[in-house]
Amino acid sequence: MKNVVGLLICMLAMLLVAGTVFAADTYDTVKNRGSMICGVKDSTPPFGYVDPKTRQIVGYDIDFCAAIAKKLGVKLEVKPVTSASRMPQLIEGNIDMIAATMTKNAERAKQIDFSHTYFLTGQKFLVKKGTVKSLQDLDGKKIGTAKGSTSEQNAKKALPKSTILSFDDYPQAFLALQQGKVAAVTTDETILAGLHAKAPNKAQFEIPNIQISDEPYGLGMRKGDKKFVDFVNQTLLEMEKSGEAKKIYDKWFGPKSDLPMPRVFRIVADK
Amino acid sequence: MLKYEFDWSVVTSGQYYDWLVSGVYLTIQLSAVSIVLAFVLGLLIAVMRMSSVKPVKWLALGYLEFFRNTPLLVQIFFWYFGSYKILPESVNEWLNSTNFEFAAAVIALTIYTSAFIAEDIRSGVMSIPKEQMEASRSAGFSYLRSMQYIILPQAVRITIPPLIGQFLNLTKNSSLAMTIGVAELTYQARQVEAYTFKGFEAFTAATLVYVALSFIITALVTLYSRKVLHRAG
Repeated sequence: MKNVVGLLICMLAMLLVAGTVFAADTYDTVKNRGSMICGVKDSTPPFGYVDPKTRQIVGYDIDFCAAIAKKLGVKLEVKPVTSASRMPQLIEGNIDMIAATMTKNAERAKQIDFSHTYFLTGQKFLVKKGTVKSLQDLDGKKIGTAKGSTSEQNAKKALPKSTILSFDDYPQAFLALQQGKVAAVTTDETILAGLHAKAPNKAQFEIPNIQISDEPYGLGMRKGDKKFVDFVNQTLLEMEKSGEAKKIYDKWFGPKSDLPMPRVFRIVADK
Repeated sequence: MLKYEFDWSVVTSGQYYDWLVSGVYLTIQLSAVSIVLAFVLGLLIAVMRMSSVKPVKWLALGYLEFFRNTPLLVQIFFWYFGSYKILPESVNEWLNSTNFEFAAAVIALTIYTSAFIAEDIRSGVMSIPKEQMEASRSAGFSYLRSMQYIILPQAVRITIPPLIGQFLNLTKNSSLAMTIGVAELTYQARQVEAYTFKGFEAFTAATLVYVALSFIITALVTLYSRKVLHRAG
């Protein structure tokens, strides 16, 4: 069943792609429409998650979308995406921009354009307390992560003897860790810290200081959409200069937040 | 600027090809094991369902209603995540040290499909004139022996076309195993899509493999029924 559905979706996607070719310029499209549609995560605190009180999607990524929409003078609409669906959604034109914990890499850069790095983190492991001292402790064990993420690729390289189990999203991978089905959940440290902070039995888990990669996050835009990409990059640099970017960081990762973490980067123009 | 460029090389050679091939193997393993188990279990449940012993019949009825009327995806999650809560710690530890993802998928596919197979076989049995059962009972066969030697061989033969349908459904349903991390064909096709964004190529390849597998299953079952079952009858 699923394979047929996948094929149909692909065919539909191509039709949509064919239909949107002439509407290439996102900057003008968004201005005319009066709203910008941002693809964000909805279960990855603190980047994008549903606030239990307001039932709205909030987070670091959403604040950046809001700042860019404000600069454009348009309303912001957010649309939940997954690691696997975000690029197709963007290319099909369902969303105008991806702000969904997306690591910049060469493979992806062939399909879409990235903004300057607006967040920097590294890939680590969330494990049961005291079970892992070094990377060797994990080799050969089962490791959980989410489908369609760079985490999976990095884990395969760092732990060639391990089996990587990819679930649909991180909460499921974390459930598998809690039940002992995997020895670790691996992805970007900030996402792990977010999962860890929200866990009911927090004290039983830890994130040992083992990093297997750098993960610079970028906002994703359609390939060759120069006017929009330039505008977003310009806005990001202005946000850094005015201190707004740091303010957003402190809101989610500052000393008073749930996940205090030092800001080890500044937003600068990519070479 | 948004033109899609086909690149079939991602599915015909290299690393992504290897992924797809490993997915094909896993889909075949998953389907083959589950088909055999589901058929055996289906036969058993069908016989229980038609038994004149009330508790046995009710047990089979409950089984049929429960497993036919819940979604397969829910059943997969139940066996994989839900079983943790009801099993003792030592059993869980042992299960987690094995390839439990594969086992949970086989259990779910087997049980789910066996319920449908049982009903198909029962309708096959119903189409055998009841005088045959009476005749074999009066010739001294027990209920189970009459089933084994007289009724079921004929019923299964009649049931071949719907059985093929169930086997094909099972093979395609095996794609749901990807939700618990079993790296079967659809999982690998999605991986290829996620890594290369060549979703059209990856899913086309997967579709062709599913179609080919379906043809092979249909041919094998048909051949078996012609050569073995019909000769015996």
